[in-house]
Amino acid sequence: MTQLILGQLINGVIVGTLYGIVAAGITLTFGITGIVNFALGAFMTLGAYMSWYLTDRVGLAFPAAIVLSVLATMAAGVVADEALFRHTRNNLINGLLVSIGLISVMQAGIAMTWTATPQEMHFVLPGVVQVGGVVVPKMKGLAALILLAVILCTYAALTRTWVGRAAFAYAQNPEAARLMGVRTRLLQSGAFVYSVGLAGLGGALYASLYSIDTGFGYTYVLKGIEAAILAGIGSVGGALVGGILLGMAEAIGSIFLPAAYKDAYGLVALVLILVLKPAGIFGGHK
Amino acid sequence: MTTWHHDIARAALRCAGATCLALGLAGTATAQNVVKIGDLEAQTGPASVFGLMPSQGVRMAVNEINKDGGFDVAGKRYTLQLFSPDNQGNPQQALVQVKKMLEEEKVQYIFGPYLSNVFNAVAPYMQQYNGKVLLMGGATAMHWALGKPNMDFLIKTIPWDTGTSGYGSMMVDLLAKRGVKKVAILMQNDAGGKAVVDIYTPMFKERNIEVITEFFEPNTKDFTSVLAKLAAAKPDYLFPGYTDTALYDIVRQATEVGLTHFFIARGSIGPGMKNAAMIDSYLAYVPKYFEQAEKTQPKVAKFIGDYKTFYKTSFPYDQAPQCATSCYDHVFMLVDAMKKAGSVTDVPKVKAALLSMRHQGLWNIRYDATGEAIEDFDIVEIHRGGKADVTHIEPK
Amino acid sequence: MRVLQLLAAALLLALPHMVRSDFVLTIFVFTFILGIAAVSFNLIFGFTGQLSMFHAAAFGISAYVTQIAMTHLAVPFWAGLGCAVLFVLVISTAIGSICFRYRLKEFYFAVVTLAFAEMARLVVLNWNSVTNGSLGIALIDKPKLWLPGFGEITLASTSTWYYVGLTALAFTLVVCHRVLNSWVGRCFGAIRLNDELASTLGINVFRYKLLAFAIGNAFAAVAGALYAWYIGYLEPDYLSIPQSLAFISMVLLGGSGSLVGPAVGALVLTSLPHLIQLSAEARLMTYGAILIFTILVLPKGIWGTAASLWKRLQGSGRVLASESQANSVEAQ
Repeated sequence: MTQLILGQLINGVIVGTLYGIVAAGITLTFGITGIVNFALGAFMTLGAYMSWYLTDRVGLAFPAAIVLSVLATMAAGVVADEALFRHTRNNLINGLLVSIGLISVMQAGIAMTWTATPQEMHFVLPGVVQVGGVVVPKMKGLAALILLAVILCTYAALTRTWVGRAAFAYAQNPEAARLMGVRTRLLQSGAFVYSVGLAGLGGALYASLYSIDTGFGYTYVLKGIEAAILAGIGSVGGALVGGILLGMAEAIGSIFLPAAYKDAYGLVALVLILVLKPAGIFGGHK
Repeated sequence: MTTWHHDIARAALRCAGATCLALGLAGTATAQNVVKIGDLEAQTGPASVFGLMPSQGVRMAVNEINKDGGFDVAGKRYTLQLFSPDNQGNPQQALVQVKKMLEEEKVQYIFGPYLSNVFNAVAPYMQQYNGKVLLMGGATAMHWALGKPNMDFLIKTIPWDTGTSGYGSMMVDLLAKRGVKKVAILMQNDAGGKAVVDIYTPMFKERNIEVITEFFEPNTKDFTSVLAKLAAAKPDYLFPGYTDTALYDIVRQATEVGLTHFFIARGSIGPGMKNAAMIDSYLAYVPKYFEQAEKTQPKVAKFIGDYKTFYKTSFPYDQAPQCATSCYDHVFMLVDAMKKAGSVTDVPKVKAALLSMRHQGLWNIRYDATGEAIEDFDIVEIHRGGKADVTHIEPK
Repeated sequence: MRVLQLLAAALLLALPHMVRSDFVLTIFVFTFILGIAAVSFNLIFGFTGQLSMFHAAAFGISAYVTQIAMTHLAVPFWAGLGCAVLFVLVISTAIGSICFRYRLKEFYFAVVTLAFAEMARLVVLNWNSVTNGSLGIALIDKPKLWLPGFGEITLASTSTWYYVGLTALAFTLVVCHRVLNSWVGRCFGAIRLNDELASTLGINVFRYKLLAFAIGNAFAAVAGALYAWYIGYLEPDYLSIPQSLAFISMVLLGGSGSLVGPAVGALVLTSLPHLIQLSAEARLMTYGAILIFTILVLPKGIWGTAASLWKRLQGSGRVLASESQANSVEAQ
């Protein structure tokens, strides 16, 4: 039994990093552009399909495929930002609805390009690692480490570099930041595209772990939002922790409670947090 | 005076009225010596995996029959007119389409549906047409409706797992012959998954094979916890299901916990081929293994060639087995039944003819007394590395 | 304007006698029933400014409760519908109380209503013994209605459903019109514009938000039961997020600023798939594009934009009239 629980905890942490990267994207977008980008799930799907296509159909090496997928997703993000989201800055309702519309457009586009049949990438890194009786697939562990590294680098960049501090300043007081010379338009677009890139990276790695279909991104963006709210919107480090907590809670919950309502546990936790401590566990900036 | 915009409005209303009248009149035209048939499948959308190939096969068959000038029944020449709307897997949409087919177009023969939820939506409505129409579909849910009162309009075009001619019992026999003692079943926690468990558990138990069962939520991607639980019980074979979407992930993740023998009664050989490097045995029922049948059966080779010419695209070998249900062969069989019955409108006679015939097309098809199909099939076993052994079975 | 309204009403009333095609009438029946849900959603969203993602849940829950009441309590359809509306009112009050008591704004309100809607859908999907889960329930028995002069009629034919739908929609519009033109409606408007300011003006924001939410969901409940019995089939997807999004799209497409706008949106969205044959993917893309287009380019919706164009034409017309009068006076 302990082995089962331990294995589940480790799995929960790994799955949690996937939630965490989407949550980080959500939190960054909200902090800097004032909207919640529901379409991050669709960008994640795009990253996954690109990574699968480049690895399996075109035949590139997986690391190259990841990089190209992230770049391609970010390019799509630039287009979406220029055409659509530039007009919905700080308008939460409009931004939300436009992003929801964008999900349909992107999902349909992906289905038209690659058909609605689920696809599976061949084994990139087969084999497992035995950690004291617990089995961890190598690729899963690697994916989690990559995502962890990226989120920590983002956090470091936000707190230590000039760009990061400018972002913080802008989130605190847009007027003052502009007066201090922060290029706000560039900052907003940059934050948006970077978040999209994070989601794309999550998707690109996802494709090496699971089969992909046009709809999986929706579940992840919901979980990402839950994790971001749980931790407190505005905190990137918190987003990671929130994601991992959510992953572990689901994993443990599935052992002892009916797995049917697995998704509901996160939702219940969400409602409770919003009701009891709306600022989230780590008390965000906004 | 500002009456000009009133005039525009009045003209617009008149146009709207005229359009409505036109639409109303359009539905009343009829043609002579035409047999109308309908096709009720999901041609696009996520469920199209089950519906696209059957609907494509029907269209090809209709085209071929009409190209040859039609067919003769009781001295009169007929052609086929096909109504093939796309229900996208949506039961509400399907119901609206069926209503249109039956009420406006007066269709009497409908192929499909494959999806059980679509079937549940249209069957109660169609009961009022019992004795006047035929619904020839492959939905699993149809199996339990066959033979019930007011359900004579049903014909199930794909065979069932159990029974002496059932593919399921033959596959379970195979396992028993190999000395398998324990099988783990991993199914979706929905009506389809539960149905599979209910059908197969007694068959395993009859042959003294122990069964352990676990359910998962449809849409699950990460099976590590439940697979770890099952692996601990050390089964000889894993029986996962029932859609390819789930199979890809289950098979891959199962190999990671040391489960490498798979028994597949619903699903394609795709997951086996994709993970061929990690599996030891992937034993699957397929209506037909087209890659091999193309070389050994001339009718199959001709069908593949015709498909490529008609649709101007490459042949989807992985989707082709779906043609075993409400597809190409069944249109020809229906036409033959009409010829044998000597009528295109006397539905009970046509049905009686169908149930008394054997059709030799891509498949050898006949129907049992309740109206359920009995067809030949293949059992494919994929070994580590991708080598496939195919056994062709002809039910008695 | 009055003339046009009367003409439209007369046309709608006479349509079943003018048109032979069952298909066209079917589209109108769907428009009326879904229009009820869209118009009532607009009460919460357009007029009170709250983006609720719970509307489809109310829509679907009502259908299931009606079915449960009819099978387990053996009551006729209309009594079942009453039970369903009551049930939806109770849970709306509960959920609304949670949301508004804790002053959940905008985005958080949308997320929490989404959470509750998804929880409801999961319950319906998994409670197989009661709801038959993903396979759905076939609704074979048609509702019966007793009318003076007509006796007992069964709601089976499309034209009967047409008039039932039209009457229900008209009733919804009348009730909403009354509510919106009363003191209650003005409170809604104040809350939409700035709810903090409204509370300083002495408006009990909590009570009026709850009222809008409850009334809106109650009408969605009516629509849900009618829709399920018209189609003859009930499934958990009635409660899904895409269904809520469909209602939002109808409101945005038609125009959230007017009472009738959402019904126009319902007509367009319902007839579109049947006018243009699109594959599932193309249709999905079109819906997404329409949603984006209406928010960014046509924020007033079709009806709203048409109405403001009309006003401008009338205004310029009057200017022309006075000019020509002035000219004729001068000419003399």
